[in-house]
Order: sequence, then structure tokens, then C-alpha cells
Amino acid sequence: MNILIEQILNGLILGSQYALVATGLALIFGVVGIVNFAHGEFFMVGAYIFYLFYRNDTLGAYFLAVTAAIVVMYLLGRAYERIVINRIIDRSWHSQLVATLATSIILINLAILIFGTTPKVTPTVLSKTVVSLGFINISYQRICIFLVTGLVFILLNLFLQKTKLGKAMRAISQNRDASEIYGVDIRKVSEVTIGIGAGLAALAAGFMSPLFNILPTMGLLLVLKAFAAVIMGGFGNVKGAIYAAYLIGIIEALAIGYSHHIYIESAYKDVFVYGIMILVLLLRPQGLFGKKVGI
Amino acid sequence: MSLSKFFSSINSRLKGKSKFKLSLYLIAILIIAIFLIFFPKLVTTPYFIHIFVLAGMYIVLSLSYDLVVGHVGSLSLAHPAFFGIGAYAGALLAIKLGVPMGITLLAGAIMGAVLAILIGIPSFRLGGHSFAIGTLGFALAVEIIVRNWVKVTRGPMGIPGIPKPVLRFIGFFEWRLENLGDFYYLMLILVILTIVLYKLVDTSRVGRAFRAIREDEILASANAINPLANKMLAFTIGASIAGVAGVFYAYWFSLVSPEIFGMALTTTLLIIVFVGGRTSLRGIIVAALLVTVIPEFLRITPELRLVLYGLILLLTILFFPEGLEGIFQRVEKRK
Repeated sequence: MNILIEQILNGLILGSQYALVATGLALIFGVVGIVNFAHGEFFMVGAYIFYLFYRNDTLGAYFLAVTAAIVVMYLLGRAYERIVINRIIDRSWHSQLVATLATSIILINLAILIFGTTPKVTPTVLSKTVVSLGFINISYQRICIFLVTGLVFILLNLFLQKTKLGKAMRAISQNRDASEIYGVDIRKVSEVTIGIGAGLAALAAGFMSPLFNILPTMGLLLVLKAFAAVIMGGFGNVKGAIYAAYLIGIIEALAIGYSHHIYIESAYKDVFVYGIMILVLLLRPQGLFGKKVGI
Repeated sequence: MSLSKFFSSINSRLKGKSKFKLSLYLIAILIIAIFLIFFPKLVTTPYFIHIFVLAGMYIVLSLSYDLVVGHVGSLSLAHPAFFGIGAYAGALLAIKLGVPMGITLLAGAIMGAVLAILIGIPSFRLGGHSFAIGTLGFALAVEIIVRNWVKVTRGPMGIPGIPKPVLRFIGFFEWRLENLGDFYYLMLILVILTIVLYKLVDTSRVGRAFRAIREDEILASANAINPLANKMLAFTIGASIAGVAGVFYAYWFSLVSPEIFGMALTTTLLIIVFVGGRTSLRGIIVAALLVTVIPEFLRITPELRLVLYGLILLLTILFFPEGLEGIFQRVEKRK
């Protein structure tokens, strides 16, 4: 029983990470209409920026580094829109996909050139302190991830519902041409959307890095799971992607905890995740929740 | 039927040219053929032969990849899985069962085709981007299984000591592939066979059906072309060629390891196909030669090479969407 609760908790934390990355992907797809293959690398670059800014293990330094990573990635995301996305927005989806894939290749190998392939570790006060919840022990970092992600989603929802920019984003995702006629500056909104997506990836990186190693190739597996969440949630459906991301996190954690009961090593956990993604695609190609819930 | 069409298409291409140009064309082909045949005797450094074999392998792989990406327009990211499964099938059959090379090459083609059908059936239900992501998911799943199924694949250690192969032509003669030169000639044969197969598909009814699907799937199906069947066909042909290339690789390197499933191969193939120009035979061959030969002479680290590859790919997509083929056509027009 304890294993079950512990694995579900782990799953929720993994799910938070996937949800933050998947939200950015779904937002960008909904508003800009691009499937951003470089999104996992936004997470990875965000983690390295966090690593560069994180100098000592005090709480203040930690939050400063996380903020710095988010701000830098927001700006880099906007630059990415200006340099790459803006030029391919009217092309076929082939060109779009290959251009974002090329960006991802450049970023991964630049990271290898600059930082090498040795993993970087950034333990914090939060990740080193463990609190006992009676039946299980859990580090503050994990609790923190869960709470911050919840808070971010509430803020994001408020932003999309209440602010002018958020309304413009929703309008574009519903009808691009009509919103252009009504005077929405699509270029500017697209740029900010990619910035926000990159910022969310950096936020996830800042909170996950103290628990895991920072590696140049870590974005690739992550982005595939985020894609799985986006596909399962229905393309462009942000809420669906968030629910699906948590589902994937829990499936993965349960696969780690229980796969030895069916004589399978836990190294195959990702095969479970992709298997379920393929099953969903086969049985419900429109996603688990359909298109009813927009962004 | 399709073979005669193939030759008539060559004829019609040659007819438009003057006699002088035609003889120039033939002389050029003859010189290239003589050069390719005597190449291993001319150079003394095995390193150059090695690079040419590598270039040949990339030509085979990228032409087979282009049948899927360029012709039916489905952006598959699973090509390393077919290459890898071929390499592992070849290595295991040769070491554990002592199967001769002719049969392992066939087994590589079959393994590639079977895997393509397994991956294709669910993945082709997805359109556009989702297809790319679905195939990437499958490719990673295959890599994870190979990496962890230690009993069969020895996991990350890989399978070393693949014996030097012997090709037996029934009743004729035996060909022992002992040195690099032998592998070079086998690769040359594979490249020529792949080019012929590629041209056959390209110029036949099937090839036109492929391109019709790429341009407009609904219009194609309104003209009695079954998109799914044709896409599966392209995917399967491409995969079996990649499987054969994998078997060749296993014998040539005499070592297979899970690294061959990595994204680096997909990257290189994407660059060759997009820089060369999709569905362009000459563009892809030139791009494959450039991509393999230039970095070997510049002697740069693999990481820096991949950064440059990525940059070249991005710049090609942004500024020269037609690739080398576009440049060739512009030069031809000027004449």
C-alpha cells in the first residue's frame, strides 16, 4: 500500500514536469500553429541557465536562479520566433517540423560542446531536507514542485481568461483570420506565446534540476512524453494536455514500482508510456477529451 | 513492363540532347564508372576507401529514406530502427547460427519490412506531425528494448566479433570479403541496385501514385489511389533497404551496439534528403557525398559536426527550400 501511495506521489511530480512542458507545446500549437520539436531543448537550455546562475545553496540564490532561467528563456523564446518560426510560418508542415528539429539538434550539440556530457548536479536546501508525512518521507523540493505547478496553472488560466493578451491568444486559436480582421496583432501574440512556452519549460527545469541530473540529451525523452500528453489531450487543447501529462506521470511511476511483478524490468517504463500513447491514438485519435475544451 | 519504361525514360531524356552532348554524357559516365571500379587499386590509404564505403551507405540509406519522406511525404523518424534491426539480425544470425551472408542480407530486408508493417499500421492512422511523433516513439521503444534485453543483445556492450562473410553464388563461385576493397565492391553493387530500384519506383505508376498522395491525399484517393496501401508500400520498401544496409554495416564494422539506433542517423539522413532536394536522385547522391566526405577531411569533432549539420539544415530550410536540386535546375536553365 505504501508503495502505491509513494508511486502515485512520484507520478504526480513527474506529471507536473510533463504538464509544464506540454502546456507550452499545446499553447504554441494552438496559437502559432507550429509543432515545436525544439521544446525539450528549451527545457534543457533552461536547466543549464539555471545551473550557471545557481551559485550557493541558499534559498534566496535558488529562487534567483530559477527566476533568471525563466526570464532568459522567455527572451530566447521570443528571439527564436523572430529568427526561425516567423520565416517558416507560411510553409508546409514538413519545413516547419524540420526547421524546429534542426534547432533542437543545434542546441543539443552546442550544449555538449560547452558543458560536456558529464551530468551536472544542483542540490538545494529544499531537495536535501526531507519531511515525514507519517507513512512516507518526501523532500520539500517535491512538495514545492507540486504546489508551484498548481499555482502556475491557476495564474495561466487567469491570464488566458482575463487579460487582453490572453483573450487575443484564445481568439487566434479559435479563428485566426477572424481575429486578424478584428485587429489582433498575430505576429506579436505569436512571439509572446513562444516566449511564455519557453518560460514554462525553464520553470519546470528550475524545479526539476535539483532532483535529477542536468544532461544535454535530457530534452529529447522529455519532449516525447510531452508530445504524448499533447496528443492524448487532443492537439492544441491545453487543459487536456495537462490532465494527460499527469496521467502519463502516474503510469510511468506505477510502471517503475510494479513492473517487476509481471517480470519486466523498470527500464522498460518508457515503452509502457509510448505503448499507451499509441493505444490512445488508435482508439481515440481525437485525444482523450476531444476538442471540446479549448485553451 | 516497368523496366522497359525505365529505359524508355532514359532514352527520352537523352533524345532532347544533341549528339555532341550525348557523347559527352556517355564519356562522363564511362569515366566515373572506370574511376569507381579501379578506385581501391588507385589509392593506397585504406582511410579513403573507408570514407567511400561510408558515403555509399549513406546514399543507400538516404535514397530509401527519400522513398518515404520525399515521395509519399510522410516524415518518418523511425529509419534508424530499421537500419538497427537489420544490423542486429545480421550479427546474431551470423554469430549464433553461422548463416551465410546471402541469407542474412535477405533476413535484414525481411526484418526491416516486418518492423515497418508493425510500426506503420498504427502510425499511418496519424496524419502530419503526429505521424512523426508516433514513429519517433516506436524508434525509441525499439532502442530501449535492444539496450535492455541483455540476454539476446548483450545490452550496451553490443555484439562484437561478427565473422568476415562469404558470398556464395549457387554453382558459380565464392567471394570471400576479407579486406576493405571487397566491402567497397559489395557496397558499390548495393548502391547501384538501390539506384536502379529507386529509379524503377520513381518512374513507375507506383511512384506517380506516391507523389499524387504527397500533393493531395483526397484528390489521389478520388482517382482510385489507395493512400494507406501506397504509404505502407513506400514505408516497407524503404525499411527493407535500410535493413539490408544494416546487415552490411554489421559485417563491415564487425560490431553492432545500441548507439546505431540514435538520433544522429536521423539527423544525417534528414540533412542529406533536404539539402539534396526531396525526390531528386542526383541531389541526394551529391549531398550524401558532401556530408560524408567534407567532415572527414575537416577533422572536426562529432559534436561540432552535428552543430554545423543542424545549422546547414536550418539555413537550407529557411533560404533554399528546393535544396541542391533547385541549384542544378537553375544552372540547367541558364544553358
